[in-house]
Amino acid sequence: MVKFWRVFHYEFSRHVLRRGFLFGLLSVPLIILFMAGVIMIIERSERDSRPIGYVDQSGLLAEPLPAAAARDSLTIKLVAYTDEELAKTALEAGELQAYFVLGADYLQTSQARAVAMKRISAAAEDEFKDLLRAHLLASQPSEVLARLNQGDMLLVRSADGSREVNEGQWVSILLPFFIGIAFMIAIFSSSGYLMQAVVDEKENRTMEVLLTSTSPNTLIGAKTVAMISVGMTQLLAWFVFAAIALVIGSRYFPIIQTIQIPPGMLAISLAAFLPCLVTTSALMVMIGSSVTDAREGQQMTGLITLPAALPYWFAIVLMTNPNSPLSIALSFFPLTAPVAITMRLAFGMIPPAQLAANLVFLWVCAIGALWLAGRAFRIGMLSYGKRLSLGEILGRPQKQEAQP
Amino acid sequence: MNNTLTVMRYELLTTIARRSFIFTAIGLPLISALFFFGLSTLNRSSPQALTSVVGNLPGQVGNAVEAEGYVDLSGIVQTIPESVPAGRLIAYADEYTARQALGQEKISAYYLVPADYMQNGEIIYVRPDFNPLSAFDQAGLMRWVLRVNLLGGDWQLANRAANPLQLDVILLEPPSARDQENPLTFFLPYGVTLLFYVLILMSASLLLNSITKEKENRVLEILMSSISPRQLLTGKITGLGIAGLIQAAIWVGVGFAALRLGGRSFDLSQAFQLPLSFLLWGLIFFVLGYALYASLMASVGALVPNLREASQATFIVIIPLVIPLMAISIIIRDPNGALATILSLFPLTAPVTMMTRLAATSVPLWQTTLAAILLALTAAWIVRAVANMFRAQTLLSGQPFSPKRLFRALAGKS
Repeated sequence: MVKFWRVFHYEFSRHVLRRGFLFGLLSVPLIILFMAGVIMIIERSERDSRPIGYVDQSGLLAEPLPAAAARDSLTIKLVAYTDEELAKTALEAGELQAYFVLGADYLQTSQARAVAMKRISAAAEDEFKDLLRAHLLASQPSEVLARLNQGDMLLVRSADGSREVNEGQWVSILLPFFIGIAFMIAIFSSSGYLMQAVVDEKENRTMEVLLTSTSPNTLIGAKTVAMISVGMTQLLAWFVFAAIALVIGSRYFPIIQTIQIPPGMLAISLAAFLPCLVTTSALMVMIGSSVTDAREGQQMTGLITLPAALPYWFAIVLMTNPNSPLSIALSFFPLTAPVAITMRLAFGMIPPAQLAANLVFLWVCAIGALWLAGRAFRIGMLSYGKRLSLGEILGRPQKQEAQP
Repeated sequence: MNNTLTVMRYELLTTIARRSFIFTAIGLPLISALFFFGLSTLNRSSPQALTSVVGNLPGQVGNAVEAEGYVDLSGIVQTIPESVPAGRLIAYADEYTARQALGQEKISAYYLVPADYMQNGEIIYVRPDFNPLSAFDQAGLMRWVLRVNLLGGDWQLANRAANPLQLDVILLEPPSARDQENPLTFFLPYGVTLLFYVLILMSASLLLNSITKEKENRVLEILMSSISPRQLLTGKITGLGIAGLIQAAIWVGVGFAALRLGGRSFDLSQAFQLPLSFLLWGLIFFVLGYALYASLMASVGALVPNLREASQATFIVIIPLVIPLMAISIIIRDPNGALATILSLFPLTAPVTMMTRLAATSVPLWQTTLAAILLALTAAWIVRAVANMFRAQTLLSGQPFSPKRLFRALAGKS
């Protein structure tokens, strides 16, 4: 056991105390912040605050609005023109971003024309629609008007009342998507490290020296546990970052306060995450033991990382039909399970029996993969410089016990 | 010169003979082509088969929009407009009976309009499958019914207030001749961008791999005794560049064939046909972009001690390549705007951005030419700088990589 902890300590500190690890740890939140910043800057630079003009030939907009229908301060000013030519001149001079023309038959057809230079912004269109709406509804009682202007708020509730979400909480709705991504990155970075750790020592033959003083099971067990701890450290750090960002952000952006993460959902996702982490790590050990050099190993990992992207290809199926056969299959397949289960939980209800079967199945896969990995590692020790095939890993058992 | 050719031939032949190269060049596009071909055939021959995989399991709610119940405690709903099919919305006096009906599967879900709806506008939608995404989508009918009733049953007014404009947009200076509504207007340039990004990055990484590997297993030391570093670099860059071009040709060819075979009504309107000059510019920008990024990658390869650190260090190099991807929607929406023009002229972002613009619109010839010249100058400068730093001293030292060392070496100061 002393040796186990020694290997564990060596592997863990070698990865966590490396600058590259810190870099990887910080880079994800920094990239997210950077991208958010770029998007905000771009959004701001795109904003057009020039007024919009309108020419009304239908007479709808001529009458003044009653006090109840008057709107709050406008972001974009609206200017009335009596003649289209005048509006066009103003548009060409760059004083207007666009102008609208309501024909004499507008009230019958709702047809209208918009003229702009390059494109018409959604904000301008919305502003003008609001104006039209206010005039169309001007004769309604003030109570009705207030309700229509503010719109309604849909609250979705599950039949047993355990889950509830309203439209304003779209951040909470999308959150599982990001939690799934975080799980996936943590799984693949830590299992990638593990593969490297196996392959490196195999390549430079340190492994042979190590095995003179420790058993293969202790060595590989300690390495796996160490790398899983590295993965968990990474995940924990990101959750801490996210929590700090949310606490700070909620002071400036009220929408963040609406975020709710149902604790049950998080617990189930974590329960699915663990066996998947073990399975992926074991598969990586298997690859690391059966290839001869690091580059080959990296190519082989493509075979594992590629299917892991499946839930994102089929994200729309997972979100709209969380109980389709495809969604169920994705949540049973160990490489896609963490994302698939998290998304299915967020967008629907999974029958409890199915969920239990699913988790049991994932653990069975994890144990099977561990068994295979141990075997591959021991056989791989003996067949040096030669690639192992899957048949060899499965096929020739006891004869090749690698006791050095 | 002879040495360069030898290196080039070796790199080219070993790369394209590698199984992983053959897989990414031929297998990957073939698999995805087969996948989409199969999907579209399946979709045409038996649409039910596809929905049975992708749709919800039978017996579970949320398949089709079925009868739904509502409990109106506010007293607003007086009439259900005639356009709503009979039996689609069923009224219940209180939540208890609605819940019972739900239990007996008479309705798939029910709405609860609270007594204080007029004050806070809340509607509760109770669904056994919960799915908020479908819920927001399907609740549209009930919300419309409520609006109609608020307006005293005048559904025409409700419709008009919901959508007061049938807009006919006239643009005096349209950014491109294309139909803005057509999804291809976005996806064609988007596809071109991704293709260029992947191709440049992939062929540049081949170079990084080959240098790091030879450095790691010390073949480089032996090579250095019979060939100059510059010959080695030139040979590698050209050899792997040709491999990249082969890959690009295969991808474009397979993509084309797949679109034809798939029978996906591939009748591109005239506005979406890319002219021959596009292919020519594509070739120029790919070659120049590859030369630039490959030599940058080579500089990283020369400085890192092993492959593992190499993949971290490349991050610094590829940042400028990622910027156009982040701004892609803006570039496509306004391909001749300020941001798009700047990014397509700046050499590090030019190869990808210029191709996006060319696919999205017609770019003034002077801009394309200027971008190509600037890119060529930068590429030439970087290749020279990298060749200079590609000396035995940098190649053989086992020092760890740092961005500072990279920039110092590029400036010729190491």
